[in-house]
Amino acid sequence: MTGSLGKSVVLWSVVACGLVILSAPTLVVLGASFTAGNIIAFPPEGLSLKWYSRIAGAGDLWNAFQRSLYVAFVCTLAAIPVGTLAGIALAKYAVRPERTIQVYLLLPFTIPLIGSGIGLMLLFGDLRLLGQLWPVGIACCVINLPFMIWAVMASASALDPELELAAASCGAPPLSTFLHVTLPAVVPGVISGSLLMFILALNEFLVSLLLVDARIVTLPVHIYNSIRSIITPDLAAISVVFIACAAAAVLLLDRLVGLEIFLKSK
Amino acid sequence: MDALEAAAAVVWPARFAAAVPYLMLAPAVLLVGLLVIGLAYIGDTSLRTLDTSTFLLSDDYTLANYRRALSESLFRTVAARSLQASLIVTAVTLLLAFPYAYLMVRTPSAALRKLLLIALFLPFFIGQVVRAYGWLIILGNQGMVNDALSLVGVAPLRLLYNYPSVLFGLIQYMLPFAVLMLAPALTAIPEELEAAAHSLGANWLRAFWHVVLPLARPGLVGAGLVVLTLTLTDFAMPAILGGGSQDFIANAIYDQFFRTSDQGLGATLALLLVAAGSLLVGLVLYLFGAGTLAMGRRR
Repeated sequence: MTGSLGKSVVLWSVVACGLVILSAPTLVVLGASFTAGNIIAFPPEGLSLKWYSRIAGAGDLWNAFQRSLYVAFVCTLAAIPVGTLAGIALAKYAVRPERTIQVYLLLPFTIPLIGSGIGLMLLFGDLRLLGQLWPVGIACCVINLPFMIWAVMASASALDPELELAAASCGAPPLSTFLHVTLPAVVPGVISGSLLMFILALNEFLVSLLLVDARIVTLPVHIYNSIRSIITPDLAAISVVFIACAAAAVLLLDRLVGLEIFLKSK
Repeated sequence: MDALEAAAAVVWPARFAAAVPYLMLAPAVLLVGLLVIGLAYIGDTSLRTLDTSTFLLSDDYTLANYRRALSESLFRTVAARSLQASLIVTAVTLLLAFPYAYLMVRTPSAALRKLLLIALFLPFFIGQVVRAYGWLIILGNQGMVNDALSLVGVAPLRLLYNYPSVLFGLIQYMLPFAVLMLAPALTAIPEELEAAAHSLGANWLRAFWHVVLPLARPGLVGAGLVVLTLTLTDFAMPAILGGGSQDFIANAIYDQFFRTSDQGLGATLALLLVAAGSLLVGLVLYLFGAGTLAMGRRR
C-alpha cells in the first residue's frame, strides 16, 4: 500500500471504529449469556452456565428454534432448483427482453420487505395458507431469491462455453452435456447460494412476524416478543444459538468458496 | 442415460432449443410472481375503507384512504422522520464503509483481510433482532454504559428509545451491506493509478479525491441505493430501539394492520411506500446506471 502516515492514521481510526460498531452487540450478547446474576449488569456478577441450563429446559424456545430451522430448510430446498436454473439461463443465454427480465427478477430487492410481507400475507390469507409454516419458508425464498441467482450466475459465467461445445462435438447429447459439464461447474455457486439462503431464512424477522400467529412463532419473532416485555439473560443464551449458527456459516462459506470471493470485481 | 436422452429428445426436440432458457427461467418468474400478486392484493385492499360499525372492508372502491394517507399529519411526520433517517444513515454508513472496504481490498496482509471479512459477515448472518438486543444491553437504563457511568458517579443517561439510538442501530445494520457492495468496485481500480497520481506529485488526499472516488462511483451508487432503501423501509430497529416513539413508515403500516385493524389504510401506506421506493431506485439507476447491482451477462 502506498501512502503517508496521515493516510494510515485516518484509515485505521475509521476502520477501528467500524470494527467496534460491528462487533460490540455480538460480544456483549456472548458475555451477558454467561452472567451469574438474574439481570444483566456491568460489571457482571460472576460467571455461570445457569442460563444455558435454563434454556435447555425451556420448551417454547426450542420449539421456536426448530420452527426456524424448518422454515430455513423449506426456503433452501425451494431456492436450489429455482435459483440454479435461472442463474444458468441468465449467465449463458441471451434471453429477451433482457432488461425487463432482470428488473423483474430484482423485484424481491426493490419492493420493500414490509410491502412484500403484507402482500404475501393477504395472498396467503386468501388461499387459507396462514397458520402453516411452509408458506413462511416459500416467502423467505422469494424475498432472498436474487442472492441465489447471483451466486449461481457467478459460477456459470466462469465456465468456458467452449467446454460445453467440446462435449457436444465429442458426441454428448444435450442432456448429458448439461448434467456432466454445466451442472458440476455451477456447484460451488449453488453451495454458497444455498448457505446464504439458509442463514438468511433462519434469521428472517419481519416477513415471519407478518406470516406467523402465536402458535407457530419462529425464534427471531419469539425473541422480539420477549424483549418488548423484560430483558433477561436467558434471551442472551438463546441468541448465542444464532451467533453460533452465523459463525458456522461464515466458517463453512470460507472453507467452501473463500470469503475473498466477495471482493472480486465482476 | 440413453433412455433418458431419448425421452428428452421426444419431449423436447432440438428445434425447441430456443425455448430452453425461458423454460429454465419459468420457476423463478413464477415465484417472484407471488410478490406481484401480493402487490395486486395490496392495491385492491387500499381502495376499500373500513366500516367502523362492522369492522369489515367496504365492497365498493374509493380513494378515501389515499386522501387520508396524504393529509393526516401523523403520516407526514412518520414519512419525514424515515426519509431524514435514511439520508443521515446513508451518509454516515458510506463514510464508515469506504475506508473499511478500501483497507480490506488493498491491505497486503491476508490475515487482516480475513479478519475484516469475518467481522463483516458475522453480524450480517446474525440478524437484526439479536443485534438490536445487543444494543439494548449496552445502552439500556440499567445497561452497560449506564452501569459504567454510575461507577464513576454520573447519573444514568437516557440512551435508548430516541432518534439517535435508532440511527445508530441502523448504521450498524447497514455497514456490512455497504462494504460488500463497495469492495468489488474498489478491487476494479488498479493500484498503479494511485501510484501514478503520487508520482505526479498528488498527496494521498488529492489522489483519493481525483482518482479513487470517481472510479468507485458504481460501487458508491449501489451501496448508497441499498442502504437508502433498506433504511427507509426498516421495521425492526425503530420498533426495538425506538420503543414505539420513533416509528418509521413500516411501523405505521404494521400498526394499521395489527393495532387499528384498518387494513385499507395500511395497504394504502404500503403501496405508497412501494411506489416511493421504486421511484427512488428507478431515478438513481437512470441517473447513475446499475452499478454493482447489474444481473446481466458479462459483456
